[in-house]
Amino acid sequence: MMRTRTILAKFAALAPLLAALLLGTCWVQAQATKKLPYIYTQWKNFGVADGLPSDHIFSVKADGDRVWIGTEGGLAMYNKKTGKMKSWTTKDGLPWPAITGIDIDKSTGDVWLALFGGGIARFSGGRFDHYHQLNSGLVNDVVYGIAVEHDNIWAATTAGASRYNKVSGEWTIFTEKNAPMEEIWNYNVSYNGAGTVYLAVWGSGVLEYKISDGSWKEYLDPDGEMEIDLYRDDGIVQVITTAVAPAGDGFFVSTYFGASRYDGRHWRGYYNLDSGVPSDFINSVKARSTDEAWFSTDKGLGVLTDFDSNTWVSYRMDPKTHHGKATVYKDREVLEEVETETGIPHNYVIYAELDGNDVWIATSKGLSWGKGSDYYPRLRDRGVVSGNLAAALPAAAKGGE
Amino acid sequence: MRRLSYLLVGLLGAAALLFCAEDAAERMKKLEKLIDPDTAEVLKRINAVDAYTVPDLKLRREENFAKTASDIEPYSGVKPYKENFLLQIEYTGPGRAIPEPGPELKTVKIGFIGPIQNLPSVATGGMGHEAALGRMMLKGAQMAIDEANEGGGYLRRGIPFELKVVNDNGLWGSSGNEITNMVYKDPVWAILGTIDGANSHIAIRVALKGEVLMMNSGDTDPTFTETNIPWTARCIGDDRQMGYLMADYLFRKAGYKRVALIRSSNRFGRFGIREVRDTARRLGRPVLIEMAYKVGAEDLSMQVERLQATNPDAVVHWGDARESAIVLNTMRKLGMKQPFFTNDRTVSEEFTKLAGENAEGVISAYPWDPSRKDAKLDAFRERFRKKFGEEPETYAAHGYDGMNMLIWATQVGGLNKAKIRDLIAYRTKPWPGVTGDIPLSSTLDDLGDVFLAKFENGKWGFHSREEWQIPGGYIPPRSRVARALETAAAAPQK
Repeated sequence: MMRTRTILAKFAALAPLLAALLLGTCWVQAQATKKLPYIYTQWKNFGVADGLPSDHIFSVKADGDRVWIGTEGGLAMYNKKTGKMKSWTTKDGLPWPAITGIDIDKSTGDVWLALFGGGIARFSGGRFDHYHQLNSGLVNDVVYGIAVEHDNIWAATTAGASRYNKVSGEWTIFTEKNAPMEEIWNYNVSYNGAGTVYLAVWGSGVLEYKISDGSWKEYLDPDGEMEIDLYRDDGIVQVITTAVAPAGDGFFVSTYFGASRYDGRHWRGYYNLDSGVPSDFINSVKARSTDEAWFSTDKGLGVLTDFDSNTWVSYRMDPKTHHGKATVYKDREVLEEVETETGIPHNYVIYAELDGNDVWIATSKGLSWGKGSDYYPRLRDRGVVSGNLAAALPAAAKGGE
Repeated sequence: MRRLSYLLVGLLGAAALLFCAEDAAERMKKLEKLIDPDTAEVLKRINAVDAYTVPDLKLRREENFAKTASDIEPYSGVKPYKENFLLQIEYTGPGRAIPEPGPELKTVKIGFIGPIQNLPSVATGGMGHEAALGRMMLKGAQMAIDEANEGGGYLRRGIPFELKVVNDNGLWGSSGNEITNMVYKDPVWAILGTIDGANSHIAIRVALKGEVLMMNSGDTDPTFTETNIPWTARCIGDDRQMGYLMADYLFRKAGYKRVALIRSSNRFGRFGIREVRDTARRLGRPVLIEMAYKVGAEDLSMQVERLQATNPDAVVHWGDARESAIVLNTMRKLGMKQPFFTNDRTVSEEFTKLAGENAEGVISAYPWDPSRKDAKLDAFRERFRKKFGEEPETYAAHGYDGMNMLIWATQVGGLNKAKIRDLIAYRTKPWPGVTGDIPLSSTLDDLGDVFLAKFENGKWGFHSREEWQIPGGYIPPRSRVARALETAAAAPQK
């Protein structure tokens, strides 16, 4: 009896400690599951050794099993099924080495190339057709972006936009004479697939062209000043725009000063100081939805994964170990940091291409294929991973090559 | 006999080797003189990185953008969400790891793009008009190259520098084509150029993607460096600095309340006069009128009559020398006796010839003081006169300084475009140019002193803010985001 009482007394003495342990476990379990975004952990990198004409990648376009890659030294095509890389340089008839933009004409399978200093080219049936200032209506040979819209090929050039109708052969030039371009320095072009073409114009913000009636609408920085952004959410953050990514009824727009999202009614600005975008120097943007946009910056890749909660994943490579590092942010709060065996090949990211659940990342030192085999959009309840993902989630990390 | 021949050849070879070794040692001594301890540290750090690492170097950080007084800041009653340009932009790409070319390299090419031949220009909407300026810029640049070659050329290898010259005619953005050629077709290590504001903007976007430094010595458009491009620098005071000084003179010193503006309709006029116009408004003295004219126009009486109708205290013009004279002569012909203020391009023989007696009393903003006593400047003038048989003017002097900055960065950094860029971007001291000290800002813009030039007794005199006691507004030592709104009101009164 005495012994029982002693045990009970000891238990009573330990009870607070046990209760604390139990509560602590519950708390840890509750904390261990959070609403978190998908993290790409499987990256396969490509460089010159893999058959690319140059490591300096400007553009990528996925087209089924084929992925077209525009580099500073030529064109390449990677076949996802066979794993083979094929390339073309000026020795193979490519009119100019540097390819800053690629789009595919779905109706013919032709590949259209923006040539940085060489005009534009159509790659069809193994032949390159070259269009430039001296043999066509292309307004300038310094072409930054290209987009196929119905029968039209749009080219964003440094001295205006050109539109080529491949059926009629007619060229139309858009400059300050017939479009609201305060400056004519076109930097990118994109088509939303639903009747609207967007031009990112350096010094002139975003121009929206309605195909149905040929009307233009301009989006400028409301404060009109270069040295400040007066209010974050009043319009595009800066007029020096680099790309427009259509999404829903609006778009995302990147600049060398930050980024903006427009839903057709409301604006939202993004800076490194208030989001997970790794840098305000943003080379381009691609959108998967109105919730998800991929920003290519000079200090890594920033992905807005959930608009409502301002949740981001940034992807960077550790310059010393060359391992990957993904960081999940809500605003600027770090929710999760994950290391991966392989990550993006360089932190100077130029372009991102979305290929179903996969992504292709163009950097100034290699190309990366991010495999999203178990991708999910926005957020999901899942455990927080901290540290090396290879140890914590082996199934997910093993794909890193 | 054969043995003797072998011996002779051997001796000659040994002598040649000895001579080359001595020559190389001499060149290395010269190179060492170009590298002060601070530069050596910069060089050590940029040489330590690989393709994936960014050098551990302090970025330029400023608390005040472009020395702007708080009472003329845009939207000064509101704390902005974000300020740009206070922190220097880094280059984070892999370029520093690109190896130098092999011994097959025969010359070190530096690019020059400038208007050296007048052709139709999209930027101006007519014939180009800047070739006279561009040709002087070219002479200054060429002189710097020639002097470098006389001093041993590219010192690390003993090979000459070569100036690759292209015309910037502005026709359908051809400046962009020229720069892509200098990146991909006939590569250069760095580029000097150009003068036209629109063409300069086209060129720097190409420089950004092609990763080559563009040094500008002739475009005073303030927005040139307000682009966040880490591949641009400028070695001439811009229209923002000159506009601030002129506005301070007009409104804070002379006390004018009714100022009328007239400018060329191109980018040079449009952006050049902006700081005068905005400052006038922010100081509570909005300009009465702003007239524009097409470059090349012969008759500006309609525009000047409109100015006259506003009965201004003073007239400010921003444009080329020729049009400056036409505006001034028209004003005087119409009986307008108001003081005439204008921009740096007016300080030229062309203006004084065309304006004649009317030039007396004209005041121009100017990016440097060519009248200062400076042995280096005098020697430069002497050499320039000897070489070209004429006086070097502002475009020649700035072209000389800009090209010398590029040559220095190439000598010190080596044949690597990113390192050449780094040497300029991380330069620890102002460049001691013939145009004066050139201190670079966080946007790599020349933030050195600017001046006002007055035409008196048949010649231009140059006057500093201090000399003429021109008051300025309060320049806060903290960024707008970091300070309270009332800073301006609480500022010490001058």
